[in-house]
Amino acid sequence: MPDQHYEPERALAGAGLGGTTELGVDEAEVLQRPPAGPDGTGEQGPPRSLWSDAWRDLRRNPVFIVSALIICFLIVISLWPSLIASGSPLKCDLSKAQEGSQPGHPFGFNGQGCDVYTRTVYGARTSVAVGVLATLGVAVLGSVLGALAGFFGGVWDSVLSRVTDVFFAIPVVLGGLVLLSVITSNTVWPVIGFIVLLGWPPISRIARGAVITVKQNDYVQAARALGASNTRLLLRHIAPNAIAPVIVVATIALGTYIALEATLSYLGVGLKPPSVSWGIDISAASPYVRNAPHALLWPSGALAVTVLAFIMLGDAVRDALDPKLR
Amino acid sequence: MLLEVRDLHVEFRTRDGVARAVNGVSYQVDAGETLAILGESGSGKSVTAQAVMGILDMPPGRITGGEVIFQGRDLLKLKEAERRKVRGAGMAMIFQDALSSLNPVIPVGDQLGEMFVVHRGMSWRDARARAVELMDRVRIPAARERVRQYPHQFSGGMRQRIMIAMAIALEPALIIADEPTTALDVTVQAQVMDLLAELQREYRMGLVLITHDLGVVADVADRIAVMYAGRIVESAPVYDIYKAPAHPYTRGLLDSVPRLDQKGQELYAIKGLPPNLTRIPPGCAFHPRCPLARGLCRVDEPSLFEVSATRGSACHFWRECLDG
Repeated sequence: MPDQHYEPERALAGAGLGGTTELGVDEAEVLQRPPAGPDGTGEQGPPRSLWSDAWRDLRRNPVFIVSALIICFLIVISLWPSLIASGSPLKCDLSKAQEGSQPGHPFGFNGQGCDVYTRTVYGARTSVAVGVLATLGVAVLGSVLGALAGFFGGVWDSVLSRVTDVFFAIPVVLGGLVLLSVITSNTVWPVIGFIVLLGWPPISRIARGAVITVKQNDYVQAARALGASNTRLLLRHIAPNAIAPVIVVATIALGTYIALEATLSYLGVGLKPPSVSWGIDISAASPYVRNAPHALLWPSGALAVTVLAFIMLGDAVRDALDPKLR
Repeated sequence: MLLEVRDLHVEFRTRDGVARAVNGVSYQVDAGETLAILGESGSGKSVTAQAVMGILDMPPGRITGGEVIFQGRDLLKLKEAERRKVRGAGMAMIFQDALSSLNPVIPVGDQLGEMFVVHRGMSWRDARARAVELMDRVRIPAARERVRQYPHQFSGGMRQRIMIAMAIALEPALIIADEPTTALDVTVQAQVMDLLAELQREYRMGLVLITHDLGVVADVADRIAVMYAGRIVESAPVYDIYKAPAHPYTRGLLDSVPRLDQKGQELYAIKGLPPNLTRIPPGCAFHPRCPLARGLCRVDEPSLFEVSATRGSACHFWRECLDG
């Protein structure tokens, strides 16, 4: 169907205007560009939305592939740890305490004689659950509140900004020590709740700022001038343009939330034994780092790789969500 | 009468006091007619347009008086939900900078198609087909391929064509174009203006053309309204104004256009600066800059005097001005 490429001329002629005299600099330049593949190959697929285009970009990005593979792996082993670790993280044998790597126990044993490999694998569950759920909670709460404040402004904005300031003033670790030490439940939920409670203000502030910036753009006014409602303006024109910083900060924050869970567990107010968490293991192993460094290094390494993977994912997603970088 | 603006007043509350941006503007536009609104930056021409469209930022803006009668209804009395139905379908607006007026993360075809989905309840499939037709209509080459591209992948002229396509999508009765060619190359300006004029003739739309480009006005406008400090100071058919302006400000604008036969001479400029809108001079707002100003101008604010049946001038000494 080669004549498809001559449509521009046809359109010009069809409009009953002197085709060539109407051609200005930019039209001529466009016409000279090599047309897209005649049989609809390459870029001619059905890329419709920002998201499908972003996905197409992401699939080609090695940083994204590596971090996504690590994250998929983490999610799989946190759902089904027995796939790669046959023993129980709570089955310990004090006679083997601090022993190094040996057949069947590649990471050796910790101070309590528990298998470090098994405990590291099972620890992923806590970290991934806390990281993912806390980030979802923070992102939803923070961006909804921030976006409404930024879009509608006025009293709603003033009240929210002051509330944000109050939460900003609470030191995270001190707040955790105070609030979580009174909770006896030994599940991940109090930790997630605490992180959401203290984590939403920065996201809300970013979302508010992004919405205010985007709201002032001419295309928002243009969309309004062409009859778009507030809901449509906010969801279709503002949110996609304002969401990138929220996603980036939230993905990077996910890593820090995992680290925060480890910190709180290390301090003894997050999860407590017999729960399994990298924070608990790091805490337990740190006094014996000279005699049994492996008991500290494996959970620390797993924590570092996990945090890094989420931060890399955040970067890749940010690049893909900005069409101007393409 | 398609659109009639009567005695419109708009003010802005600012830290420095109340800025009176629009002070009793009245104009009329008929179907198929082009009214050019001419004036410097800050003369209130864009604010008037925003008030007519209903996209004025309120606060800080406030409409303190007047009526905007469009197809027999006073838009200022409508509820926001009804007002929204008028925008896009009844009247549409074209903005100065098409790059910033198109959403950067949505392919242009979807932005065009959205008009049909929102206002006409069309399916996305049909709406996209209409988007391609529209892009063909504003003569964008290879519309079928380019419909999926993003705004930044188009040149300036092409983007403004897309804005025009969005504005005419629902065949509105009135288009307000706010300096549609200012951000474009001179060569592209003429093409875009021709396209706009052609579409206007075809659909018999009323066109309010806001500009400070006298060349553009001479080509396409039927009538001209000249604005100064939030008021219309002269209103006349385009030919009359170019032949002999009836207001010293209009004369000043015409005289400050560079002409080839004046090569080497100093270009005329209206002396002084436009007034601060929080402190508009008493009497005629133009008197501090006016070569014809006398005692009367300092105390008495001139109303729009009838120069002829189709022409008005807000100058006490319009006869003198008309005679040159």
